[in-house]
Amino acid sequence: MSITSENEKPQREKLNESRVWQVYARRKYDEPLHEIGNVMADDVELAKVYARSIYDEFGWIEMVLVPRETIVTVIAS
Amino acid sequence: MGTRIDHVALFAIFSSLADNKQAIGRRYAYWCNGAPALEAAVAAAAMAQDEIGHARTLYPLLDDFTQAGADPRQVDPQTRTLYYHLAFLDEDFRGWSDFVATNFLLDTALTTFFESAQRSTYEPLRQRARKIVQEERIHQMHGEGWVRRLARAGGAVRAALTASLYRLWDETLCWFGPNDDPTMQQLYREDIINALPDELRSRYLHKIMPTLVGLEIEVPVSFNAGTKSWDPAQPLPWQNWNSTGRRFQEATP
Repeated sequence: MSITSENEKPQREKLNESRVWQVYARRKYDEPLHEIGNVMADDVELAKVYARSIYDEFGWIEMVLVPRETIVTVIAS
Repeated sequence: MGTRIDHVALFAIFSSLADNKQAIGRRYAYWCNGAPALEAAVAAAAMAQDEIGHARTLYPLLDDFTQAGADPRQVDPQTRTLYYHLAFLDEDFRGWSDFVATNFLLDTALTTFFESAQRSTYEPLRQRARKIVQEERIHQMHGEGWVRRLARAGGAVRAALTASLYRLWDETLCWFGPNDDPTMQQLYREDIINALPDELRSRYLHKIMPTLVGLEIEVPVSFNAGTKSWDPAQPLPWQNWNSTGRRFQEATP
């Protein structure tokens, strides 16, 4: 990326995404939401854009994002 | 081919819209493998596809007009030699910040035009306008999201963003034309669009200014508290404006 020159690495690191969103979706009303993947984005609106553009293989009727850090482990694998 | 319609204004505006959509799509496509993150690269690819798709639905309309007869090569993007896209798009983007500026400023300006044509008396435009406006919602979210990302990163990243925004700023505002622009005047008189250039510019600024104000990015506009509208704070550089191409003679350096 040519956003900067001499301090390229530090500047680029500023744009590294750190927040992971689990993506859930379903194709039919009579099926539950299921996990289809994840996206990384610090901005929630960008996370929505990314989820829609990456997981566009089906005509989903519902898609939601869940921030990974909010998931509570009950039984660890 | 049916009977052609003699309509200078529609032919002119479709030429400009199609060329800009085509040029945006091609510039976006270049960044499909150069975006700062994999997710952004996939989004760039999807948006490039959308923009080129919009151009492909607009170019065929040119052939419906008498004006196409003057030079039939100009109605096909494969043979077209006129380029009525913004001068900013003449060259490759200098960096990701140019991508973001184009997405946030220019694409949103074109969408503002299409929004004004959703009840157009010219059916082919009305149909396309509704679909394009729907598809552009996600582009706008992407543009706003990346303006926030780059601005909040601070330092050289923020500086690169503001430089890109400033280079594109005047030419984007000028795209709507001066308020007495004959093309826009004719489209407005015939209810093909529902606003004149000054009103379109104001609607456009109303869409983009909340993001810029929130990030303290200063641009030459002023807020009119009486009308609750944003207007350019200084005269636009019409001396550099080419009304035929709806573009600057030369890009802002």
